[in-house]
Amino acid sequence: MRFDSLLDSVGGTPLVGLPRLSPSPDVRLWAKLEDHNPTGSIKDRAALRMIEVAEKDGTLRPGCTILEPTSGNTGISLAMAAKLRGYRLVCVMPENTSEERRQLLRMWGAEIVSSPAAGGSNEAVRVAKQIAGEHPDWVMLYQYGNPANALAHYEGTAPEIHADLPEVTHFVAGLGTTGTLMGAGRWFREHAPHVRIVAAEPRYGELVYGLRNLDEGFVPELYDETLIDTRFSVGPRDAVRRVRELIESEGIFAGISTGAILHAALGQAAKAVRAGERADIVFVVADGGWKYLSTGAYEGTIDEAEEKLEGQLWA
Amino acid sequence: MAIEVRIPTILRTYTGGEKSVGGGGDTLAALIDDLEANHPGIKDRLIEARDGRVDLRRFVNVYVNDEDVRFTGGLGTELSDGDQVVVLPAVAGG
Repeated sequence: MRFDSLLDSVGGTPLVGLPRLSPSPDVRLWAKLEDHNPTGSIKDRAALRMIEVAEKDGTLRPGCTILEPTSGNTGISLAMAAKLRGYRLVCVMPENTSEERRQLLRMWGAEIVSSPAAGGSNEAVRVAKQIAGEHPDWVMLYQYGNPANALAHYEGTAPEIHADLPEVTHFVAGLGTTGTLMGAGRWFREHAPHVRIVAAEPRYGELVYGLRNLDEGFVPELYDETLIDTRFSVGPRDAVRRVRELIESEGIFAGISTGAILHAALGQAAKAVRAGERADIVFVVADGGWKYLSTGAYEGTIDEAEEKLEGQLWA
Repeated sequence: MAIEVRIPTILRTYTGGEKSVGGGGDTLAALIDDLEANHPGIKDRLIEARDGRVDLRRFVNVYVNDEDVRFTGGLGTELSDGDQVVVLPAVAGG
C-alpha cells in the first residue's frame, strides 16, 4: 500500500479474527488493530481530523499554537501532525501518566504542562481551560467536545469495519472522550442499526475520582447516551488479566485499556453463547503495550500488577 | 437481602468513612431508600428531580455488577442477592 505522506496513511487498519479466543464458530471475535496507525494509536484518526477541520474553517493558521488536555495518546498524535503541519503544541497532562508517554511527546516536539494527579483528566481539562483563557490566540481543539473527533470514526472506523465484515453484530470500544463510540455508534445506527454498541470504561483507583464536590464531575460534551446500548466499568484487574490473555492466546501485544475493551467483548460473547445466538463481535485494539511497560502491568502476578496500577491513569 | 454498595470518597461523609456498606432492595430505587435509612443525607447526593421526574444526578454513575444502570432501567434496575453496586462520580477519561 502506497501513500503520499505519513498523514495520508492514517486509518485503513487491519481487522483480524481471533480463532482461539472466539468461543465457537458461531460466536466470533475480531480485533480492529488501531495500533497500526502512524503513532501507534487510534487517536491519530481524531487528531488528524480535528486539525484538518480547524484548518479548513480558518481556526488554525500557519504558526498557530495548539493547546490540548490529554492523558497521552491524543497528545502524541497531535504532536506528530503538528510537527508535519508546522504548529507548536502545548499539552496539559496529568502527572500520573506513564513516563513513556511524556518522552514520546517531547520527542515529537510538544511542550508539556503537568496537572495534578488527583482528579485525573478532569484536572487536565480544568487547567487547559484556564490556560486557554490566558492565551486567547492559542487554539484548543478540545477532543472532548470537538465533533471532528467523532467524525473521524463516523467516516473511517465504522465504515471500514462494515466493509470488511458486513455481518458484524457488536462494536466494542473504550469510552474516554467518547469520540470513537459516538462517531462509530452514529454510523452504525444509520447504516446497520442492528449492531449493538458497547462501551468499556476504565475504572481507576480512588485518587482519580477525588473530586472536592460532585458538581465538579465531567461528562464530555460529545457524549450522547442514545448512541450506545450498554456501558461497562472495567477495573485494572480484569484489564490486566485480559490484556495478558490476548498476548497468550492470540499473540497480540496491546495496551492496558484494550484489556478492558476485550473484557467487555468477551462478556458479550458469553451472553450470545448462552442465548444460542450468532455473533460477530468487533472490538478496538486502541494501542500497543509499548507505552505501558513501565507500569508493571505485563510482569509478575496479577495481584502485583493491580497494585502497581493503583493511582495511575492506565488507559 | 445483602447487596454490597461501594461508596466513592466524596460520599463517605455519609457512611462514617466506610468504603463499602451493605443494603437491600429489589430495585435500585429501593436500595437507595434503604441506604438513606441507615445513612441519612446520601439519597439527596445520588438522585434529583429533573424535568418533573426523579433520576440519578448528572455526575453520578451507578454500576450493578459493572454495568451502567442508565442502560438497564435506571432507578428501576432490578437487583438480586449478591449483586455488587458501585457508585462513582463521572470524571473525564481519554
